Amino acid sequence: MSTLTAVAPNVLQKGTNVDAELNSSNSTITMETTPNPTPANQTMIEIDDVSFSYDLGKTNTLRNISLDIPEKQVTAFIGPSGCGKSTLLRCINRMNDLVETSRVTNGEIRIMGQDINAKSVSAIELRKQVGMVFQKYNPFPKSIYDNVAYGLRIQGIKDKSTLDESVERALKGAALWDEVKDRLKDSALGLSGGQQQRLCIARATAVRPKVILMDEPCSALDPIATAKVEELITELRRDFTIVIVTHSMQQASRISNNTAFFYLGELIEYDDTNKIFSNPSIKQTEDYISGRFG
Amino acid sequence: MQTGGHILSEFNAALKSFKSKTVNIGCLSQQNLENAIQGMISRNSELCNKVIAEDEDVDQLEISIDEEGMTLMSKYRPFASDLRAIVASMKITNVIERISDHAVSIAKRSRKLNKFPELPETALIEPLYKQANSMLTDALSAYSNSDLELAMKVIEADDALDNLHKQATKKLTKCLEGEGENHKAYLHLVFISRWLERVGDLAENIAEDVIYMETATDIRHGGELPS
Repeated sequence: MSTLTAVAPNVLQKGTNVDAELNSSNSTITMETTPNPTPANQTMIEIDDVSFSYDLGKTNTLRNISLDIPEKQVTAFIGPSGCGKSTLLRCINRMNDLVETSRVTNGEIRIMGQDINAKSVSAIELRKQVGMVFQKYNPFPKSIYDNVAYGLRIQGIKDKSTLDESVERALKGAALWDEVKDRLKDSALGLSGGQQQRLCIARATAVRPKVILMDEPCSALDPIATAKVEELITELRRDFTIVIVTHSMQQASRISNNTAFFYLGELIEYDDTNKIFSNPSIKQTEDYISGRFG
Repeated sequence: MQTGGHILSEFNAALKSFKSKTVNIGCLSQQNLENAIQGMISRNSELCNKVIAEDEDVDQLEISIDEEGMTLMSKYRPFASDLRAIVASMKITNVIERISDHAVSIAKRSRKLNKFPELPETALIEPLYKQANSMLTDALSAYSNSDLELAMKVIEADDALDNLHKQATKKLTKCLEGEGENHKAYLHLVFISRWLERVGDLAENIAEDVIYMETATDIRHGGELPS
């Protein structure tokens, strides 16, 4: 069992005392400074025969999905609207728990070997490890600094120099530092759309999650802002495992290492991105990416 | 090469037109080659001049097809088989233009040959032309009809052309070694034989591009044939 696998159950326990966790050697913060002991491209997320329902199991929105998502790579989910790609993305950090009648009706999702739907796992603790960036940028109506520091403060970090350091690192990581360093106390809502989205990415990375989920992060951005976010994503994959839902075939082909194509709640094809976009094995994939889908 | 079935019907039409232009330049180039050889066989220098003049049309069509290919790629951002079809068609067009250049070279040599007395060794060129032309016809049909079997046949046929070229060169070299006033004429025939052999190689290149277009398998430089 790897160190991370051993740590994960502790980190994800329900009712974890945050302060105690921060002071313990197995804490989330310790994980950020410890080099990842797993070799590059080992499996980070295992989706194992997962079926999912929004209506207490009457109908399955996702059916028997199995795929392994490698760590420190970008994995794109593509497919027509309603195919289940966003639903699956939201299963990875249990965002669907917010829908009362939703259920994973079959299979398991494991992150670093830990079943994230196990009773012992807290959704809140899970989301510290699995950050999310949404389609519409959603900074809090607070200062730029407070937006990035928000997650850290929730984790109980109060020391100003630690916060300053983390905020600067996250903003630099999001390629936003140079643009905002002189106005950290200004409202985040005064930033441009592209800057607000990068701020949201900085906010997600500040707590050093293992996984970042992105649900169409560029759909509300202009081409320049999109290019900056895409550049950022390719930088972030050095440190994070990224799963992105996108409707843009070009974006998936530009920035992802692996691509999964979904249709009507089923995984049709999952392969290396270059293979998917140059010579997919399944005709349905070919028809979708080449715009022949009826 | 699928040209239909896209949700965007304009893309269907654009791809169809693109393919049709590629077939068209192939036909023009093949006609130039035929005229060049006929110019030699029938000692018709006017036909040779026609080849030289019409190569300009091939050149312009090549430029136009390249521009159209670029437009298709930037406008429709094709993937997978569509992308391969456009890239392969542009490469095939370039190969076809070179075939037309060889036709021009043959026409120029034929014009010079026509100033010499008729040589019986000219007959050595005919089987070479037939084999090269048959390969070119098959390569263009393979492209037009997405016919993999025919593309493979073109590749296999190149050995026969190489052998014909070797035999012709051997005989013409012997003629060059002898005494006489027709040395230059034999030399022209050696060059013509060489260019026809190159036409066969270029037809093989077209067949390779067809195989790539249809199967995404790159068989150039010893790559494995698709199963």
